[in-house]
Amino acid sequence: MHSVSGVLPRMVGQRTILPCRGRNSCKDMALETFTAFSGRSMSSPFSAFIAGFILLGSLCGCGGPIAHFEPNRLIAKRMERENETSMDEVLGDIQTVSREYFGTPDEPRWPEILSTGDFVELNRADLLERAAGPTGRGHDKVERGIYRKHCVDCHGLSGDGYGPASALQSPYPRDFRRGTFKFKSTAMGSKPTVSDLRKTIAQGIAGTAMPAFHSLASTTELKNQEIDRSADHSALGDDDLDALVHYVRYLSIRGEFERHLLLKSGSRIQLDKGERLYDPRLMDRDVAAFEKQKSWIESQLIEIARNWISAPTKTIPIPDHPKSRFRIPEDLSGESREALLASISRGEELFQGTTAACAQCHGKSGDGNGALPDFDEWTKDWTIRAGIDPRDKRAWKAMKPYGALAPQRALARNFRYGVFRGGSLPGDLYRRLVGGIEGSPMPAVSMQPQIAQGLSEEDVWDLVNFVRSRPFAKQIPSMNAEVSP
Amino acid sequence: MTVASMTHSNDSTGKGSITEPSGNLSSMKAHRWAIALTATTFPLIWLGGLVTTYNAGMAVPDWPGTYGYNLWLYPWTTWIFGPFDLFVEHGHRLLATVVGLIAIALVLSAYRSDDRRWFVRWTVLVLLAVIAQGVLGGFRVVLDARTMAMVHGCTGPLFFAMATATAVMSSRWWLSAPKVSRPSVGIWTAVFLLAASFCQLVIGAQLRHIQPTVSPRIFTMWVHLHLTIALVVTMTIFWVAYASLRRKSQDSGGISARAGLLVLLVLVQLCLGLGTWISNYAMPWPNLTPELARYTIQAKGFIESLIVTGHQATGSLIIALATVLVFRVGRLSRKSDR
Repeated sequence: MHSVSGVLPRMVGQRTILPCRGRNSCKDMALETFTAFSGRSMSSPFSAFIAGFILLGSLCGCGGPIAHFEPNRLIAKRMERENETSMDEVLGDIQTVSREYFGTPDEPRWPEILSTGDFVELNRADLLERAAGPTGRGHDKVERGIYRKHCVDCHGLSGDGYGPASALQSPYPRDFRRGTFKFKSTAMGSKPTVSDLRKTIAQGIAGTAMPAFHSLASTTELKNQEIDRSADHSALGDDDLDALVHYVRYLSIRGEFERHLLLKSGSRIQLDKGERLYDPRLMDRDVAAFEKQKSWIESQLIEIARNWISAPTKTIPIPDHPKSRFRIPEDLSGESREALLASISRGEELFQGTTAACAQCHGKSGDGNGALPDFDEWTKDWTIRAGIDPRDKRAWKAMKPYGALAPQRALARNFRYGVFRGGSLPGDLYRRLVGGIEGSPMPAVSMQPQIAQGLSEEDVWDLVNFVRSRPFAKQIPSMNAEVSP
Repeated sequence: MTVASMTHSNDSTGKGSITEPSGNLSSMKAHRWAIALTATTFPLIWLGGLVTTYNAGMAVPDWPGTYGYNLWLYPWTTWIFGPFDLFVEHGHRLLATVVGLIAIALVLSAYRSDDRRWFVRWTVLVLLAVIAQGVLGGFRVVLDARTMAMVHGCTGPLFFAMATATAVMSSRWWLSAPKVSRPSVGIWTAVFLLAASFCQLVIGAQLRHIQPTVSPRIFTMWVHLHLTIALVVTMTIFWVAYASLRRKSQDSGGISARAGLLVLLVLVQLCLGLGTWISNYAMPWPNLTPELARYTIQAKGFIESLIVTGHQATGSLIIALATVLVFRVGRLSRKSDR
């Protein structure tokens, strides 16, 4: 009979860092072990006891390897509605391409084409390995599966924002597959920098289910909530936080690539009738046609990846200005009081005026009680753009089987709470105004000199000071009248 | 010295009277071991909860050893000063072996000093249960089976309930408990409370050990079920408290005191449940109060971990107390004097 001290240590000794890798499933492992025990002497009660446990384990299931990322069925369905043709074949092809280029959730990889030249910064297999796969430490004591440990319950395995706990949150967890991020230092339409993602993950987002992960950073620099976002960390280090940032970029690029192919294929820009998006069988039959397919697919991939690596060049500069240096609430009672009150008053005027038009959504006093809020881009992606009214429950419910969550309205911020999710430093707010909040109904303000009637830099600082002063309205004479009742 | 254990029979008031002796005072030794077992199992459940809270189940990739070492010979400096998840997981294993040793001592003590054969057999069952629980935990590691971790997490409180029951059955009260025609709380009410509390824990475990491939719809269903059964358990506990207070004059099993403790625990548990949700997923209405709007969850933060783990441990405590209730009420309303 195999003893526990015989079989188990051997089994454990053979165990790789991520045990399911290279196996069809953990159930196979259970079966092997069960055979090892039961094959000799099932007559022994001890053997039967152990074997029973192994069987119980196999019945429970141990998750097993996760063979693929979930395809973007929502966009496929949207294209199906648009074209009134089935997208099944295209979706299948995209799954094949995606797996070939990006691997699986247990064994992710960067496409070879993105591992050299301009894209070399993406080629961090070490970070990918640490972030992906099942949670646990290997015999080298390095922790792996950090994404599944911390993020997967909300953001989902594919980064689709459709994790098990997603439906009960407000706002919903971010779907990375659009490649759109709200809180960043770059201009509207640009990707976030490594530093932006790192700071959002480290500092968390107040009032939401997004926790602060600063404990994963190897340095203390991110533990200070009042960090200045102008400091750029474009290069990744090698702590757990970097691994998460890298994996978020990986999921975003992979998801964007998949979405992009779906949109292009669906809009029939690329495919003629009967033509496949990707047909590996052509490799033997028609090499030229296969190379053509591959080259088009790779050109799309490069375009997406280039947007990501060029993000640091799109950073919005924060101009220095005397009005940017006010400390609130300290200066409300100091020497600079009059200058600050003048700036706040001017900001209030702009806030309620038609150029900035902030009051439309945020309300006259910035309490977030303006006009009825709009929906965000993630929702519009599968509702309005698919011809579905997000307010019509019967209409949007038809999309639930494809991964849709009930549409939520994007609420305007109530400034009276003094909570600014993208950062509360003056520079953060300046960028929020100039760059807008990507994916949300919050637009970028029109700026001079591009638009003559737009705001000047000084105007933006006045607005920033008004917004920052809202939690301290009682200390401001002009606001007292509206506060006291 | 013989027999302190004396049993009572019904009288017209339902309070019972002393009739005949059974058992042996020396079984108090077994009682002490049973108390030790219960007292050690509760921190073990806390540590097990921390393992789940910190996702530390695979912090040590091998079993029964730790990184190739014998469990007891793993360098203590690496354990104490190493990564926190390793500290928690290895600590859980060490404490589990202590619980196992106490269970062995319990069997030996019962075998030597208790003349109730069924009780000795019961302690053997307790020992087998702790071994099974250990093997289950081991296979959770060897097979890297998250679902098995959930089973392990559910059977842990069951073992805690067994240990509590052992403490009740080996107590002086058990040996001298009166027979009561109508205890203040019905046996089926107590059994229902125990079953509902355990179901609640199993559903909680589903939420804690959720697989990443589970759909939001299933998770939402578990949450709603968890809330519904929370309501059922709370109402049952309040009913038990009301019933035991209503007939307090006939309370010869300390039922009302236990029911009062259950009320206190369930109130704490409701607060911890709300806290657990907020520290995991925040409130779905962040603008309800400025405090909620300002609150940023600290990933695996100290307070957050205490709340979440405390919620699970209090659930186990409610199960244990419900077990005490079942065994006490069962003893009071017994038909034979075994």
